[in-house]
Amino acid sequence: MDAMSLPDTDAVVARAKRGDPLALEALYRAYSSQVYNLARRICRTTEDAEDVLQETFYEVCRSIRNYRGDGSIWGWIRTVASSKALMRLRRNKYRDTDQLNDELAPARSASPALRMDLETAMSRLSDTARAVVWLHDVEGYTHEEIANQMGRTVSFSKSQLARAHARLRTWLGEEVLT
Amino acid sequence: MSTEHLTMAQLVAVRDGDRSEPAFAEAHRHIGGCEQCRSELDRLHQRTARLRALTRLEPDTDQFPVVMARLAADRRHVRHRFAAIAGLAAAAALAITVVGADLVSPPSLDASEQLRTAISRSQLLEQTLHEYNPEQRVVDGRTIELIIQLEDRIAAVDARLQEVAHLERGKRLQTEVALWQERVGLMSALVDVHLSRATNVDL
Repeated sequence: MDAMSLPDTDAVVARAKRGDPLALEALYRAYSSQVYNLARRICRTTEDAEDVLQETFYEVCRSIRNYRGDGSIWGWIRTVASSKALMRLRRNKYRDTDQLNDELAPARSASPALRMDLETAMSRLSDTARAVVWLHDVEGYTHEEIANQMGRTVSFSKSQLARAHARLRTWLGEEVLT
Repeated sequence: MSTEHLTMAQLVAVRDGDRSEPAFAEAHRHIGGCEQCRSELDRLHQRTARLRALTRLEPDTDQFPVVMARLAADRRHVRHRFAAIAGLAAAAALAITVVGADLVSPPSLDASEQLRTAISRSQLLEQTLHEYNPEQRVVDGRTIELIIQLEDRIAAVDARLQEVAHLERGKRLQTEVALWQERVGLMSALVDVHLSRATNVDL
């Protein structure tokens, strides 16, 4: 997912590194929407997602002097945000099993009216599986990066992704669009 | 070509071009000749595209003022800490001069020396922490909790040091030695946590 472009990013970052509050606010205005979306897709509640948004920019403002400019500023902020969101999941330990068993979910052949929409199906994945799907398939993180952030193995990340897609496939009862 | 259809793990590997997966090449060949698995791969691609096209969710509240308020509070906290420690050290130095001069027994003189040493070590640790500049570092949640616990305990010791002025002079020196030594232990732990903390953010 592309971040909104920030005009004259380098100059804004340089000013933010000097502690200029207007530059820090410019970073917030440019990237808060993407940070919140990422947080909301990983966390279960809007309250948690807003906390992650706040924690992310608190950390960004405190640590921007350490940003070396090796990657894009959005990439750096996104890493802080995903780390905070995963930390929130670990802290809350909402639940780590899929809410619905396959037999309770609509069958593959169910009528369109009985099929879940994608938002609902994603919300019913386990927290870990949902985070892996979002970070890998949408945000573009590699399994190595996800494993590193989660403190797990690469094979764990891969198996979570495959298992999640198998469940989504069943729950959504998809037909190929031509 | 294998007659068994591909698993979801194999389909994901083919979608991602993940050649590190065992039997990737065989799965890739299988797709070429199996209409059912090709359809599953199409579904996987379409599901991924739909995920990326989901509506962007927007926050209900503006968190920036809260962030700025927290940063301002941090700066006040640091200033307050340095002002407090300077005041306590000055008061203790005065106590050593006054109380130490009145006492002739070796253990009390030893206590004065212990107090000077503890204050000096505490100041050195404060300086080390100040130079490390923890306000500009990234920490994970567990580390933050530990830091907060240690800072709360240091604040509690500082509060007790403020109160010892009301004790009678002999008892005051002993209490101050114990409190400053406790402060050194806590400050030492705080410095250790800051210097050795493991950040899970690649900065």
